[in-house]
Amino acid sequence: MGLVAGKKLFSIMALCAMIGLLLLPIAVSLPSLAMGADAPDAVKKDGEAKVEKGRDVYYKTEGIVVGAPAPKTVDGPRDYPRYNFESRVLLWFANQQHLYYGSFVLAVPIFCMVIEFMGVVTKDKAMAKRYDQLAYDFIKISLTAYSLTAILGGILIFTFLTLYPAFFGYLSSIFRPVMHIYALMFVAESGTLYIYYYGWDKMREGFLKWIHLSLSVILNVIGTLLMFLANSWIGFMMSPAGVDEQGRYLGNIWHVIHTALWNPLNLHRILGNMAFGGGVVAAYAAYKFLASKTDEDRAHYDWMGYIAMALGVAFLIPLPFAGYWLMREVYAYRQQMGITLMGGLLAWLFIIQATMIGILFLSTNYYLWQALGRMRGAEKYQRYIKYLVFVLCCGYLVFITPHTIVMTPAELKAMGGQQHPVLGNYGVMSAKNGGINVIITTTILSFVWYMRGNKVSTVSWSKFGNIFMGIFFGCAYFNIIGLAVMGYYIPANVRVGLSVPQVATTLSCLFFMFALNSFMMKGAKQMGPIEWGKISARSQYALIMLATAFTWMMGLMGYIRSSVRLFWHVNEIMRDNSPWAYTHTVGFAANMISFNVLFFWISILFVFWLGSLGIKKAPVEAKAGVPGGAPQPAGGH
Amino acid sequence: MKALMSVGALIGAIGILLLAGMILEIVPSNTVRLVEGYMPMQVLFELTLFVAGFTGLSYMLGTMGMALPRFWQGISFWCFILLYLKYRVYPPIPFSVRAMYGTVSLIAVFMWVSANEEDWKKFKQPIMNVLDAQSGANKMLRYAYLVLLPILIGGFSYNAMVPKSEEPIELRTVHPAPPASTKVHGKTYTLQTSQNPYRVNLEGKFDQEYSNANIVEQGMGRLMKPNANPWDKDAQGYLKYVREGGEIFFQNCHFCHGDNLNGRGLHAFAFNPIPANFTDPGTIAQLQETFIFWRVAKGGIGLPNEGFPWASVMPPWEQHLTVDEIWKVILFEYWHTGYYPRTWD
Repeated sequence: MGLVAGKKLFSIMALCAMIGLLLLPIAVSLPSLAMGADAPDAVKKDGEAKVEKGRDVYYKTEGIVVGAPAPKTVDGPRDYPRYNFESRVLLWFANQQHLYYGSFVLAVPIFCMVIEFMGVVTKDKAMAKRYDQLAYDFIKISLTAYSLTAILGGILIFTFLTLYPAFFGYLSSIFRPVMHIYALMFVAESGTLYIYYYGWDKMREGFLKWIHLSLSVILNVIGTLLMFLANSWIGFMMSPAGVDEQGRYLGNIWHVIHTALWNPLNLHRILGNMAFGGGVVAAYAAYKFLASKTDEDRAHYDWMGYIAMALGVAFLIPLPFAGYWLMREVYAYRQQMGITLMGGLLAWLFIIQATMIGILFLSTNYYLWQALGRMRGAEKYQRYIKYLVFVLCCGYLVFITPHTIVMTPAELKAMGGQQHPVLGNYGVMSAKNGGINVIITTTILSFVWYMRGNKVSTVSWSKFGNIFMGIFFGCAYFNIIGLAVMGYYIPANVRVGLSVPQVATTLSCLFFMFALNSFMMKGAKQMGPIEWGKISARSQYALIMLATAFTWMMGLMGYIRSSVRLFWHVNEIMRDNSPWAYTHTVGFAANMISFNVLFFWISILFVFWLGSLGIKKAPVEAKAGVPGGAPQPAGGH
Repeated sequence: MKALMSVGALIGAIGILLLAGMILEIVPSNTVRLVEGYMPMQVLFELTLFVAGFTGLSYMLGTMGMALPRFWQGISFWCFILLYLKYRVYPPIPFSVRAMYGTVSLIAVFMWVSANEEDWKKFKQPIMNVLDAQSGANKMLRYAYLVLLPILIGGFSYNAMVPKSEEPIELRTVHPAPPASTKVHGKTYTLQTSQNPYRVNLEGKFDQEYSNANIVEQGMGRLMKPNANPWDKDAQGYLKYVREGGEIFFQNCHFCHGDNLNGRGLHAFAFNPIPANFTDPGTIAQLQETFIFWRVAKGGIGLPNEGFPWASVMPPWEQHLTVDEIWKVILFEYWHTGYYPRTWD
């Protein structure tokens, strides 16, 4: 007993020591921020030099100028050294690949944390082993990708330094302390990750398992902070703050980090990373499923794909709302930027983005409908799928209708002007908000059907519950569509605010209907087991489609976000005077994004292959999780 | 259930006959009119009705032992949607949008017919039969496809590659992004923060809500609200400036933008594209007043690069109107259309 208590004490002390060590670099770097170590000597010599003050371009506060103005670059080898190739494209490629891998390795540990936690709390021992194995499989996939992320990060910095030295010099002069903290946190992230991975076997039982789980929390906290810091750089480039009109740093690092778009970017990226990570793991599972030779493997990878998809989609559902918030803030920050994005130069890219979002939801729904096929008793829902298809596609058609229509002059003439009485109404935000909410609500309905696929509720109020759910969903559709129509008759600021009740309606469906359904299905009669592995191959292609669409959309959105600065390195502060300060054509951008997607998938296949070379058997005795009569995953039921 | 399906079948049959009649020009295309202002919802409602109709039709044919194979159900539904978009919706939808809608419809049909194994098998069956070619007819069909498909693809390729004398497709930006600020009559206006100085209440103070409360009632055919008549000689504040803006509009703008501000003025059809339709929810209703101020002041000639191909002959009104007159005419445009300028809280 005493030995166990001693071990516990030691574990806690070790964990605390590790947290302390990990936080040490941050603590060490903090004083330099407080002291304003980067202030020029002129400022420090009290009384010797005149203190110059500047006005913050965003916060409108006054501050002491402690930095040099943004350089006025000229096209030439000094500011823009180059190869015989477009430097911007090289940077685009390096940046995108780093972001893909970065997103993946930030998302997967969050999944591991969730799945490992599910394994720890579940009372079913067989299920606990399955979850543990799954979490281990996930982290194993991300480990090789982690090294590649670091390598790609190095390549990105070298690309910046060698091709855009003036710009990178300016950025690093402002973000110097942030960049140092970033680097130190990367070390902390690596250390935690390796302890987490290699300590899996050692810390698999009892209290040590909780310590192991705590490590995953630390890992994710560090990872998320890392991402927030990196976001501050792009936030600054889009919506600078903490500097005056000449770009001179005013000494307040928090202003520089906390720009107008930082928070929306943080939220959007964290959700996006999660959805992306889920998609990639689901695609991995789908690939392994299709290549499986045995029923056991098929069952395992079917289950893995389902869990990854469910986790990814859980973050996909709120993603459009986070995106909407980001765009709203962009509009509020600069009308010019908002119009360039959604009504002007980049409007067609937004239509492509809407198309991709639609594909994500269509693929998810399609997968769920296919998944009904592996449940006995789910046939009763399948005959209604065609109506869901119709509702989904109506929402989708409205959602992708362009505001700026591509047409020949003859078509323009035949249309009688630029505004079409039907398309014009679908092409604006009010209708699109309605469209996407209809799509998401339908996806929630598909999930509810899936969750009750092979079950019949046995609670005494099941009939009432079913009617209530039907009416709830009906009212939700009515409310969403009604608000979308109402949006045309009210002031714009109120119309923008209408997205709140629409989103609230959709989220109400998500939370209330899931909760109600869970209550109704408690102790439900099972019509048959979930036959893991007995799912159509089409469903696995849907998962691959889901992941590809995620990847493509990430590339697209990154490009849109970056190119909205037009000819600015730092918006309205530092002008891009390179020969590439123009916006690419839609076709070129699409080809470049496709190339990035292709490269990522080829390289990640290589990573998967590397992972399979060192296959280490499960940390538990046997590969758990045999299909057929196996218990259902908690993720879905 | 059967009665419900019969009604559905009837709707489906009438829908198909009406559409066929319209395509063949036997039935006038305005037999069931698409009502302006309600068109978007009407189109969605009609499509919903047709889906219900086809479900009923399919059910009834099934009960009569004449069930249409799933393959043909899918194909015919898709064709119906394509024809509906082409012949029912007026003004005609440009090809690019029809192509998008057609692709989505095709995906929808695929999702429907492959939602479960049984349906997917039924759908694939005719294709598999032709590929297997177990019967003479299927063998003939397979040979026919062998010859026809390459010809068809060749035809498409030829059509795509052959030089045409048509005007090229334009990706025209309807709302080019405005600059951060604009200089009019020697004064610089920041577009993000400037306000219309005539959007004032009776006390002469800027009051967005007051002006919002006095615009025409959009949902009621653009009727004036009681006690909000700008042409009342006693009208003051916002309404007085609306009247002054109206006078400027009818002296300068209505020749092109029309009496109803719908872009169909006397000279409108001399231009391609015709002038902007302010009553459309996609124009001024989406924009800040300062955007309109910039566009009116600078005209077609002041369109930025992304406004290519700069197909606008609107004069730069700063050369003809004062700043005050521009603001007043903008005030009138919003009042008359019943739209509110975009604002941010």
